[in-house]
Amino acid sequence: MTALVLGIPSKGRLMEATEALLGKAGFALTRNGSDRLYRGRLGGIEDVDVAFLSASEIATSLKEGKIDLGVTGEDLLRETLRPEDDRVDVLERLSFGFANVVVAVPEAWLDVARMSDLDEVSESFYKRHGRRLRVATKYLNLTRRFFANKGVTGYRIVESLGATEGAPAAGTAEAIVDITTTGSTLTANRLKILDDGVILESQAVLALRTECEDDQRVAALRAGLSRALAKP
Amino acid sequence: MSGRSSAERVALAAQNERVMAVFEGAGFDHIAPDILQPADIFLERSGEDIRANSYVFTDPEGAEMCLRPDLTVPACRYHLMHAVRPDSEARYCYCGPAFRFTQGGRAPSEFGQAGIEWLAAPDSEASEAKVLALAIAAVKAAGLKRFRVKLGDLNLFHALLDGLDMPERWRRRLIHQFWRPQAFRETLARFAAREELSRTSISPFVDQVMNKDAKGTQGWVESECERRGLAPVAGRSAEDVAARLADKAADRSAHPLAPEAVHAINAYLAIEGDAASALRQLETMARSETYREALERYRRRIAAMRAEGLRPEDFFFAAPFGRNLEYYTGFVFQIEADAALGPLQVAGGGRYDDLLSDIGSPVPVSAVGCAIGTEQLLAAMGGRS
Repeated sequence: MTALVLGIPSKGRLMEATEALLGKAGFALTRNGSDRLYRGRLGGIEDVDVAFLSASEIATSLKEGKIDLGVTGEDLLRETLRPEDDRVDVLERLSFGFANVVVAVPEAWLDVARMSDLDEVSESFYKRHGRRLRVATKYLNLTRRFFANKGVTGYRIVESLGATEGAPAAGTAEAIVDITTTGSTLTANRLKILDDGVILESQAVLALRTECEDDQRVAALRAGLSRALAKP
Repeated sequence: MSGRSSAERVALAAQNERVMAVFEGAGFDHIAPDILQPADIFLERSGEDIRANSYVFTDPEGAEMCLRPDLTVPACRYHLMHAVRPDSEARYCYCGPAFRFTQGGRAPSEFGQAGIEWLAAPDSEASEAKVLALAIAAVKAAGLKRFRVKLGDLNLFHALLDGLDMPERWRRRLIHQFWRPQAFRETLARFAAREELSRTSISPFVDQVMNKDAKGTQGWVESECERRGLAPVAGRSAEDVAARLADKAADRSAHPLAPEAVHAINAYLAIEGDAASALRQLETMARSETYREALERYRRRIAAMRAEGLRPEDFFFAAPFGRNLEYYTGFVFQIEADAALGPLQVAGGGRYDDLLSDIGSPVPVSAVGCAIGTEQLLAAMGGRS
């Protein structure tokens, strides 16, 4: 039987939490000798290989079919896959890695509460400055989809690969779309989340290629994880 | 698309030649605008949405470029670079490829457009009728026999709102939302609602400025920001913020939109029929000078169509038509072929008076034009596209 490949985050809290959960479910992770950084096996279940990848690589590898299953943030999964893409599905939400993807604007915008306000502001901003309101984010697709859905079109995305929350103060954008756990970084940067500005309530998920939905190993993995998640 | 066979290539080239002969014969200057365009102009004009369906990339020097998603903007840029003055009259025609990405490959990403753009025409309605007549002549010259023409007039809607009693900012909101039917209905319902608007996180600020004048509101915004240690950031002054807060305060005390006004808007949007008899329905809505002027332009356009040898009775007018095309500012039209698999849009056009200013003209330049989808047209006649 061909081994299923499970992608697991290669570092950080996401890796630790994943490894702990798998252990609790009875699937101890063992790392392969020489390339222990990249490859491993899952105990307690036959023929499941583990690939250690960055969380964003896991989403991409699932989309491209390079791995069969993967643990990653739902934010990265939704960003990478189009909504109508049925090749990849969420199998289990893992109850860690909670964070929200949100739209935030300067606190000094006392007149802006909702996306419809942002729409109005972006129109008058264009008329006044002759350029579009800029939104800094690394979530290009989530932002486009959400803004289009809310009818906000008169803006431009400025791609940001780190410290997005600093963009408005630095003058490189007017608003941001970013991920936040407690909101304290936003507050520290004098930004506020719009009333209807939560794009996604994200957490870590186990996602899979739908073509292996009926695989017995997937069923076993899922059953083990459900039991572990149900335990206090 | 995986290329064209020599037969397909020859069929398309022959068709396009017949189309262009119509445009050139009418005195339109055949130009070839650049395929590679600076992305900025498209992104600034249309906002982020266009990036999702455009081919945008960086050249080796780091400049953001794109493959033109249509030929109208490139033709207008050509004009601004070559014309003696931006508002010198010019008549252009063109034929060439345009590029748009569609998710899941629903439509070909590379397609041809043959079209005309008439800038700074001396007579608005006559030029509109002429452009429509040429579009029809061109698809006929290509061999299209069965088709329908749809017409709309965005200017009439603006004029209708002008005659209805409501705060100017409501009018601006309705016009802004017009091309999004769902948002438009919601906005209209909100203006017409008599109950208190739902509270939001900024309602306490609106409470604070309820009885203040413009100066007082700005003073409150400034002191509130100072109290919280907030610097005015991100391109918006305390004045901007205060003006919108004052609008929100005024909205609270404004009388809701009268049922007669809501009725007038809905009745207007329900108007449809052949372009000649629609005029009689449109006449019943007249209540302001602006509307009567817009109606007069409609009337002159109908007369100009007849002068071009067209029969307005054969065209279908619908008041909401064109609302999904943000580009246009007045007269709009579409030509739909009766193809084997149902109606197929082969051409579209209209008036777009804001575009040249948007892309850098220092003076307003009126513009009307149309574009034919060359592969669509060939497909409509049973040829492969």
